[in-house]
Amino acid sequence: MENMMLALSLLLAGFIIVFVVLILLIIIITVYGKIIQAAQRSSKTRKEKKKTADPVQSAAAAQHGSIGADVKAAASSEGTDEIPGEIIAVIAAAVDAVYGSKPHRVRSVKRSGTVRSAWGNAGVIGNTRPF
Amino acid sequence: MEIFSQLGSVIVGLYNSSGLCHLGWQNYVMIAISFVLMFLAIKKQYEPLLLLPIAFGMMIVNIFPDIMANPVTQLLTEGQVKSMGLDPASYPTTSELLTKAQAITAGFEPSTLAHVNIGGSEFYRVVYYSVTENGGLFYYLYQGVHLGIFPPLIFLGIGAMTDFGPLIANPKSFILGAAAQIGIFITFIGAIILGFKTNEAGSIAIIGGADGPTAIFVTSKLSPELLGPIAVAAYSYMALVPIIQPPIMKLLTTKKERSIVMGQLRPVSKLEKIIFPIVVVVLVAILLPDAAPLVGMLMLGNLFKESGVVDRIAKTAQNELMNIVTIFLGVTVGATASGTLFLTPKTLGIIALGLIAFCLGTACGVLFGKIMCWATKGKINPLIGSAGVSAVPMAARISQKVGQEENPANFLLMHAMGPNVAGVIGSAVAAGVLISVLK
Repeated sequence: MENMMLALSLLLAGFIIVFVVLILLIIIITVYGKIIQAAQRSSKTRKEKKKTADPVQSAAAAQHGSIGADVKAAASSEGTDEIPGEIIAVIAAAVDAVYGSKPHRVRSVKRSGTVRSAWGNAGVIGNTRPF
Repeated sequence: MEIFSQLGSVIVGLYNSSGLCHLGWQNYVMIAISFVLMFLAIKKQYEPLLLLPIAFGMMIVNIFPDIMANPVTQLLTEGQVKSMGLDPASYPTTSELLTKAQAITAGFEPSTLAHVNIGGSEFYRVVYYSVTENGGLFYYLYQGVHLGIFPPLIFLGIGAMTDFGPLIANPKSFILGAAAQIGIFITFIGAIILGFKTNEAGSIAIIGGADGPTAIFVTSKLSPELLGPIAVAAYSYMALVPIIQPPIMKLLTTKKERSIVMGQLRPVSKLEKIIFPIVVVVLVAILLPDAAPLVGMLMLGNLFKESGVVDRIAKTAQNELMNIVTIFLGVTVGATASGTLFLTPKTLGIIALGLIAFCLGTACGVLFGKIMCWATKGKINPLIGSAGVSAVPMAARISQKVGQEENPANFLLMHAMGPNVAGVIGSAVAAGVLISVLK
């Protein structure tokens, strides 16, 4: 009977402690995630503002026909500013590799949505088929 | 003719010294089980990294039990040491005062001994040589399990390999990681009802966390005598996740629920990933110090990975260290399954209760997944709930596999990784609760 009481109290205590600790983690992670995201967003916009305000830089960008600057502007206007700069650079490089010397310009980069292409599906299936 | 009789006696001698002469039927049963496990590991590829060393350790200990033998220290007289062909000078000595009668009984010649007079009585100083016979190879390797050293090292490697990004992107996954631990506490009650002591019940219940290192860690603290069966049960169930989980998942969900396609997770910045392990360790170590060794090492490994400044250490933790510890852990855990000790009603009860704990954990995870599905108006696929029972990454792969059976274009893997890694933290927290209450 004494053991049974201990078992029931452990069930209750264990249930509560595990949930409380993990819920605390949810709260902390959500809060710091939001703070970091907000901080990173504000620093990004500050940098962009600084870039547009700097006439020498924008002139240089215009002279080189900078793909990155164009795409960045297009990306923010499309609301896809979550795509990291490196990814945009890689996409722009891939486009450049395909078009080569032909005149071209990347105007915007958009996510293609949750549905993957047939090749994407084949790749993911290949990597997630352990048995 | 003499040659033949000598040959015969050699063969008889070999037979007498071989395992064939000393093995009981239990050993043969365990050898047969080890063959089945090897088949599952090699042919079916069920967690071969774990199952193969476990099965091999199980086989070898049942053929040659002395491979797990404890070291033996004997106190011998000088004459006994010499009769064994050993040099007494190379062994440490201990001395003792005996009465004349006691010295004669112990095989000493009193006239050759130094004697002292204490309170009018004569005592003879006898010298013993302590001769130690080394233990079996696996005995020494097993100390890492017995002393609870290997589980935190395994956690270091797991941490260095784990991407907590899906969990940070969707922190609600923690709920599913917590829900899957309910099975642990329900099984604890079942074990108490079946007559197990509270500390034994705690060790059995933790099998429900489907986390081998955690099960070993808890058992080494609460009931070390059950380490063998509990470790074998925990690792076997981890390896058999692909067989155990899908029927429960299908039973508790509808076809429509299993077909739910979840939205893409938000990208997580490097800074968030670096802060995560530090926050988790600080919180868990403050609230549950008993879980600190496991969670601490898990998060240390993760910090190595995410910080990006100690690539060499992170790679060592992920590969060399992890592989070495896995070999030692697997083979010595398997070697604890000696037939004569293993095939007892108590062990079979532990294995049955462990299975119940594991099934309950899976069921609770899926049921909480259903609740979250309902609360989010169908945005969460309940199948990811079953991944809450740690067993990284196999449990997440099962969620992916079962989901894809209904909808081939559905990719739940990254969504299931959230509850899966939350389950690792959840089972370590549950372990901390069990240790702090039952120790």
